[in-house]
Amino acid sequence: MKLNKRSVAHYALSDSPADHMGFLRTWGGPGAPPTPSGTGRRCWFVLKGNLLFSFESREGQAPLSLVVLEGCTVELAEAPVPEEFAFAIHFDAPGVRPHLLAADGQEAQEAWVKALSRASFSYMRLVVRELESQLQDARRSLALHRCTSQKASASCRKPQAPDSRSPGLENGHFLPRDCSPVGTVEGVGYRPVGWDLPEWELQGPTGLLLGRGQSPVSPETSCFSTLHDWYGQEILKLRQGWQQRAQGKQPGCKRQDKP
Amino acid sequence: MRYNEKELRALSQQPAEMAAELSMRGPKKGSVAKRRLVKLVVNFLFYFRTDEAEPLGALLLERCRVSQEEPGGFSISFIEDPERKYYFECCTQEQCQEWMEALRRASYEYMRCSLIFYRNEIQKMTGKDPLEQFGISEEARFQLSSLPRDRRAACVGTQLDELD
Repeated sequence: MKLNKRSVAHYALSDSPADHMGFLRTWGGPGAPPTPSGTGRRCWFVLKGNLLFSFESREGQAPLSLVVLEGCTVELAEAPVPEEFAFAIHFDAPGVRPHLLAADGQEAQEAWVKALSRASFSYMRLVVRELESQLQDARRSLALHRCTSQKASASCRKPQAPDSRSPGLENGHFLPRDCSPVGTVEGVGYRPVGWDLPEWELQGPTGLLLGRGQSPVSPETSCFSTLHDWYGQEILKLRQGWQQRAQGKQPGCKRQDKP
Repeated sequence: MRYNEKELRALSQQPAEMAAELSMRGPKKGSVAKRRLVKLVVNFLFYFRTDEAEPLGALLLERCRVSQEEPGGFSISFIEDPERKYYFECCTQEQCQEWMEALRRASYEYMRCSLIFYRNEIQKMTGKDPLEQFGISEEARFQLSSLPRDRRAACVGTQLDELD
């Protein structure tokens, strides 16, 4: 399989930020003998994004090898290896043996395992999407606050503008995974009837991947749950209004006053 | 430079951001345009013969430049040799636009910038660091200072699009 090696090597040597670097002893990796033996080879490793490069030395002018870090997990190496600070990169790909590496000390070992575990593009994409949605919510809640302060002064005005509806809905997808009062929002049948909310669906898996009990929401949860309740009630009233108007269009139904 | 080809081939089988049959021409002089199945997976662009399951090749998309070539076509080149281009032809200009946008965003570098940008914005708005919950707030790669100067200015600026 071809690869744009020249460009890859250029990228390895360029001033693009490295996420981690250091000396490691290596046994596995591309081109190595089938079973780990001896003390391994000491190389200078540079991690850039999801790409792990090795060099003969810190001043190496060309990378020795590249390990693409997608679809892999990193674990402390298993017992048979009599190495103190060893760890291995396990690949999902069938028939691929783990790439064994060893650091010089415990701190280095832990730092590498941490860095490599979070090196995948997929992980990065998850974090970016999560932040993107947090920013959207922060912006909307800011707009909301402005809206509420206006509402406090303008007494009977209903929020008919689409903007005032959507924040509530999209705040809905921000449901924390802990048992915060936001649960009550769902209890009042808070569902976007007929509205397309692909973002809602996206947040579910993301929230789960963050781990149970970890709220994807920024620490002002109490603020958001208040907003949820407030909007939940507003939405309820609006729905009742629509339903009544819809019924009002049918013959034989009692006409209701606009709520 | 050796690389883990097996894993890369396995990656090419993963769900793609975008996949389509396009006409592709390599950078060598005199190369002929051929139909290829082109697949964008994370920061790699794989290309296959249309009737084969194993990829012919892959392009790492870090530090690449994506340019419009005649209507409906685009090229990918790399920073160290910008005239050495891989050419692609799409069915419509719309499809071409879609691909160009996707490819420009398909690098780890771009995502790192996005992350720093969003983090900065959220911090400004809420006073809190959104990375703390992930336990990655101290990582060097996510600090504003890790960006080269020109990108730093763009990140702190108003629009993320300025980074393109």
